Amino acid sequence: MTKIVVAEDDKLISGSLCDALKAAGFEPTPAYDGEEAVAKAKEVMPDLMLLDIMMPKLDGISVLWEIKANPDTAKVPVVVLTNIGDVETISKIVEAGAVDYLLKSDQSVDDIIQKVKDVLARSVKLA
Amino acid sequence: MLAVVVTGYIYSSTRERKFLKSEAGQSLELQQKVYQAQVLKEISERIGYSLDTAKIVDIITSSLGNLLEYDTVAYMVLAEDGRAVFKCHVEKTVNHEFVEEVKEKMLLSYGAILNREIKPTSVDESVTGNILDDNLKVKVASFFNLPVVISQKLVGLINVASSEKGRYGEEQASILYTITNQAATAVSKLQAVLDSEKGKLAAVIYSLTDGVITVDLNYQLGVYNPVVKDIFGLPTDKQLTMFDIVDSLAGKIDLRTKIEQAIAENKTITVPEVLLKDKALELTISPVKDNAGQIIAASVLFHDITTEKSLEKLRQEFTAMMVHELRAPLTAVRWSSESMIKNLSAAQGMEPAKIKDTALTIETASNNMLELVNDLLDVAKIEAGKFELNLQDYDIVEVINEQAKVFRPQAEVKHLAINVITPAKYVLKFDRVRVSQVLGNLISNAIKYTDAGQIDINLSPDAENKMAVVAIKDSGIGVSREDLAQLFSKFKQLQSGDRSRKGTGLGLVVSKGIVEAHGGKIWAESAGENLGSTFYFSLPLKK
Repeated sequence: MTKIVVAEDDKLISGSLCDALKAAGFEPTPAYDGEEAVAKAKEVMPDLMLLDIMMPKLDGISVLWEIKANPDTAKVPVVVLTNIGDVETISKIVEAGAVDYLLKSDQSVDDIIQKVKDVLARSVKLA
Repeated sequence: MLAVVVTGYIYSSTRERKFLKSEAGQSLELQQKVYQAQVLKEISERIGYSLDTAKIVDIITSSLGNLLEYDTVAYMVLAEDGRAVFKCHVEKTVNHEFVEEVKEKMLLSYGAILNREIKPTSVDESVTGNILDDNLKVKVASFFNLPVVISQKLVGLINVASSEKGRYGEEQASILYTITNQAATAVSKLQAVLDSEKGKLAAVIYSLTDGVITVDLNYQLGVYNPVVKDIFGLPTDKQLTMFDIVDSLAGKIDLRTKIEQAIAENKTITVPEVLLKDKALELTISPVKDNAGQIIAASVLFHDITTEKSLEKLRQEFTAMMVHELRAPLTAVRWSSESMIKNLSAAQGMEPAKIKDTALTIETASNNMLELVNDLLDVAKIEAGKFELNLQDYDIVEVINEQAKVFRPQAEVKHLAINVITPAKYVLKFDRVRVSQVLGNLISNAIKYTDAGQIDINLSPDAENKMAVVAIKDSGIGVSREDLAQLFSKFKQLQSGDRSRKGTGLGLVVSKGIVEAHGGKIWAESAGENLGSTFYFSLPLKK
């Protein structure tokens, strides 16, 4: 089954997202802070990671850097999901190597599931 | 202070003096006075605001024609570098020798006044007026020299000379003396005013909180104030050069081009933001003009906008955080309701337990959002000064116990005890709803930031300040010294916080507003991180 790490500190959002991913046939693993996100990425070796930016312990951009710096996890496609919409953050996210960026409150769960499917299809093609 | 000394040789002529006095009588004297006044007026108009000594002497010299008769009128100015300026105006044709003689006599007289021999390294000589005719046999027969002293300094010498013997007497000397004296007085006054204005201007520039420099057309640094050195972190004991400033701005802005542009286009140029290592500056570059409107330099104003910038950054961060905090519960509501609709309309329906779960998520998220919106509205009210209190007599102990009861279930989840240590009853005048809000806020914070131990709520009188002090003491993560000062400020929340303990910190800002509206105070103490913290607020005792 396709494994997805969901790095999101808000338990309500994480819950809804994991439920939806499960319903769509994926195997989600929640991580509730930045450090846990890095650890879960190494442990699970997911096919994709959904990553929040404002998280305790380690912010999403630092998580992204760590994942990209580790040869084991560098190839994991990361889709950033955040509610911070300023240009500065977006450019940092892109620079750090995220494959895509979504503003949470602009998306429905279905949009996110679709995005996950699109990114996975692309990365399969590339591989 | 001012002395115009008549030296030289006055060939007194009794005959002429008699002529002036007897034949022309009073009318001539009157006429002479009128002339003098006119000449003085002309001199002062022509001098204007100039303090160029050579120019002043030149103006005085060229104004004498109406009052005195002479073959030549000349002036000599000795510069500090040893050069001399000799200018001679030939009214009646004389020969070269005549002019040479005048020059010699002036050098001699100059030397006599200064009590040393004058040997100028070079003489800038110019002769104007009538042509010189060496076939003419004329000699200096009478002359006199008049030193011009401005502000106690000898600035030059004026000479009138005639080929006619006994041409000059006391009257002529007196005329020239008066004219020179008055012109010199005027110039001295002007000098004093200018010096004092310069002093004032220097004081103003010196005391400015912005850095100021002037740069002349040759790109040399003119005046500057000490702030400039502060701004660029340059040594205070060193003379500043344009190079230092350009070097400090290297890679940030091409100051020279901006200055040249301001001068060439005759306009003020503003550079709104130049970011240095630890500073943000706003630059204003303006052309500097003289009286005649000629651009003679450029001024550059360095305004330190570091504080404004950091406040602006804080404000932006605050707004970004608020947007984030508002979007988070909205997202949860949106996604939960979406999933509910989808599942309920699906053929297999939705399990009742799952429906309850999702509905609970929606409820929690909406409550979080409502709380945040209420906090924001309260902050807005406090900031606008539109915070209204409903003050009544209440028992504060009852309110404390009530809030403790509300929060005990939450505390028990984390195995924390809430102890209330108060007298049985204590009546104060306060807004019950608002003070409950403050207590609730402080107790919920204490629970949030404490993982083990207990929370003690304490009431004690402060007789000295006529206050009742409520203390909420926890055994939690504590507050660092830096953060203590920032706790109650709107823009300083979540800077270094552990975000796993959710909250915008706005509750403390609102609490501060509520307590202060009552005339009380709110503050926090902590021995340091992980050493617990105590939050206090005071309310005035009943009068």
